[in-house]
Amino acid sequence: MNWKNVLRLISVDIKAGRLIRGQRLRRYRERKIFQYLLYGGACILGLAIGIGVGSVYTGVTDQALRDLFYQGARSLFLSFPSLVLIFSLVLTMMGQIQRMGVRASLQPPYWLPITWEEHTLASTLANLIGFPLASLILFSSAIATVSIYLGEAPLATLTIFALLASAFLASTTTEIFRILQARLIGAVYKSTGKAAVWVRFLGSMVFLVVFYVVWFAFTSGTGSIALIESVAGAQQTVWFVPYVWLGMVLAAFVSGLFVQTLIFSLASILFILVLFYVAVKLNTRFGLYEPPAITVSRGVYAPKVGFLGKLGFSSLEAAVMRKDFKAFTRRRELMYVFITPLVFILIPLMQYLGIYGGPVPPEASRFLLAIILLVPGATMAIMLGLMIIGEEGESVWLFFSSPITARGLVKCKYAFVIIFSFVVMLVCGVIGILVARPSPDIAIALLIESIVLIFALGAVSLGAGIKGADFTEAPRPRMVRPLTVLVYMLLCLVLALAIFSPLLLHAITMGYIPVPVTLPKISLTVAVFISAVVALVVAFVFYRIALKNAGEFLLKAEI
Amino acid sequence: MVSTGEPAVKLRNVAKRYVDIVAVDYIDLDVKHGEILGLLGPNGSGKSTTLKIILGLIKPDSGSVNVLGINAEDDPVAVKRQVGYVPETPRLYEFLTGLEYLDFVGDIYGITVSEKKARIEEYLEALELEEREGDMISSYSQGMKQKTALISVFLHKPKLLLLDEPLSGLDPRSARIVKDLLRELKSQGVTTILSTHILEIAQAMCDRIAIMYEGRLLALGNMKELRQKARLPGSDLEDIFLKLTGTEDVREVVEALLK
Repeated sequence: MNWKNVLRLISVDIKAGRLIRGQRLRRYRERKIFQYLLYGGACILGLAIGIGVGSVYTGVTDQALRDLFYQGARSLFLSFPSLVLIFSLVLTMMGQIQRMGVRASLQPPYWLPITWEEHTLASTLANLIGFPLASLILFSSAIATVSIYLGEAPLATLTIFALLASAFLASTTTEIFRILQARLIGAVYKSTGKAAVWVRFLGSMVFLVVFYVVWFAFTSGTGSIALIESVAGAQQTVWFVPYVWLGMVLAAFVSGLFVQTLIFSLASILFILVLFYVAVKLNTRFGLYEPPAITVSRGVYAPKVGFLGKLGFSSLEAAVMRKDFKAFTRRRELMYVFITPLVFILIPLMQYLGIYGGPVPPEASRFLLAIILLVPGATMAIMLGLMIIGEEGESVWLFFSSPITARGLVKCKYAFVIIFSFVVMLVCGVIGILVARPSPDIAIALLIESIVLIFALGAVSLGAGIKGADFTEAPRPRMVRPLTVLVYMLLCLVLALAIFSPLLLHAITMGYIPVPVTLPKISLTVAVFISAVVALVVAFVFYRIALKNAGEFLLKAEI
Repeated sequence: MVSTGEPAVKLRNVAKRYVDIVAVDYIDLDVKHGEILGLLGPNGSGKSTTLKIILGLIKPDSGSVNVLGINAEDDPVAVKRQVGYVPETPRLYEFLTGLEYLDFVGDIYGITVSEKKARIEEYLEALELEEREGDMISSYSQGMKQKTALISVFLHKPKLLLLDEPLSGLDPRSARIVKDLLRELKSQGVTTILSTHILEIAQAMCDRIAIMYEGRLLALGNMKELRQKARLPGSDLEDIFLKLTGTEDVREVVEALLK
């Protein structure tokens, strides 16, 4: 193993972040200080936490309380390797999910004299760069500092080694997952044929839903405490699972069982080596594996006359809408647009079903239902509107060179945003109504609100998406400028509140939201009507703005 | 309406500047109907910018652009309806299949369903893409992507073709088909402006050649006129090009590299 090669490969991986961070490409100057800011910050924070906890411990005079504190800190040390393993696994997996959308992914330069061992090791270590490494630094510096106050320097040293080994173990597991996932996807494409597109789409959705359910279950207030408690307790029970052996090393050390400490240490090292060996072998076998082409159609070409044409769309507008539909169901990076609405309904749904947080009180139930019915469709409209132009990427040259007018462009893109958001709203709405079982008038009012919000916020965000489009594709499609997103997200929030305010007034006047004064009652019908009028005015004004922006956009084709 | 005798493309005093770079430096250019004009020049000489100005993709800082009787600045959409353009590196929608892409482009130009079907099938067969028409473009080789981009510009039967390195990545058979197709289209009155670095192709195919250098139009004419201008009787386009662009020190450079 050439360690210099490993370091060089890791360095390349770090440098790949330059493009993602949007640094200037001409006259580029490295500012190393920013690279290490995250790690320096984590170290300082860890030291501060350590000093804080240590000072509290020193300040406690009651011996019984001191013992309790001491025992608590020791059991936390014991569960740290398994906790770090879980969090590193989640963070490195998240990193891999993000990388799926990167166009210029890091391919192993197989024509260079680099072995698969070197490549695998570099890839495994590079997986940890960023937040996983910052978390490790934070935990390690906090443990080291606290140990000085506790007088547990040997245990702290062993714990820090166990943390590093756990993180490496997690990253190696992620590396194996990455290779297998690429191979599995290839096998799925091959076996499912024409259905591969839909299998991939639904598979990605299911994966994301499961991933976020697990993540929320672990990270919710009670969930994380339960996790620490269960890790510390369960470690002893499932001692035969290799992933907890590092925790067992610490448990044996604390109990003074030095033979067991040695056995579990050796077993852990052996397990890490075996896992790394598996990763190397898989990389050797599938590292350069290219998934087969997805064959969507085969046979006689029969152009569709089109349902959209019957709805009044020209052939150009209908073609753009059909193309966009394919983009959002086939492009992996665009599938992420579904995550935000999913997250918005997952938390309330998990609360309803008792997976996340405590039981839902009746007052909160109405609020959760409103979130499920209003937020997914509106969020979808905002996100789609913002990225619907930028998602064209560098293929936008075709738009610039085609006879497309500003009116046609805005019409088809706006229609797409509305239709797609409607579908999301309907799916989420039906789920919400089935779970929460609201009265029909409330359900209808919220659905109408959701529709008008989609129209209004879709127009606002489309105008912004045209103005702030970013067609950069490598290494990751940017689609829209971050400042545009920030400004228009805030604007959308303000406008959404303005549109929704008549319903809030209705809730206040009807006494659903308690206020100290008595106000004349506003009926639900009147509130919804006023809200719809406000929304339509917003939609009209911002549609005109979108038309103006599109006119300028098509004239300034600096490609 | 296009008046008789009026050139297909007429550039007058056209200039374009990018902050500290002069891309196009006040050029005048007339391209006749049914002519194949070769646009040559070293990298960064302003060829691609000129093509984009003609199409109305880039607004010039000064001058006038008249394409097929239409002022490109006043009505760029009308110009685009009549023109077929292939950029130097055509980025296609990689998530579409070749067939879906061509279907999409056909719809963009409003081609009727029956015409679209017939033309797409003809071109796919001619350029040997029919076996892969149902595969996603992301799995295509560079040459296959180039073929797809080329087919997409022929679909709507444009009156003017603006082709930036059209033969790059094509296999010999497909390159020959495209060249013959361009000659056939010329006989039907289609005008082509062809930007290329392959001088043999330019010499063999083009009626006239325009040589650009640092945004300026150094020379314009047929081979005989270019030889006269360069004072290189009997020489080929490569020698003329190197002499006119002041880059004829090739031999010295090679010798220096071999030392």
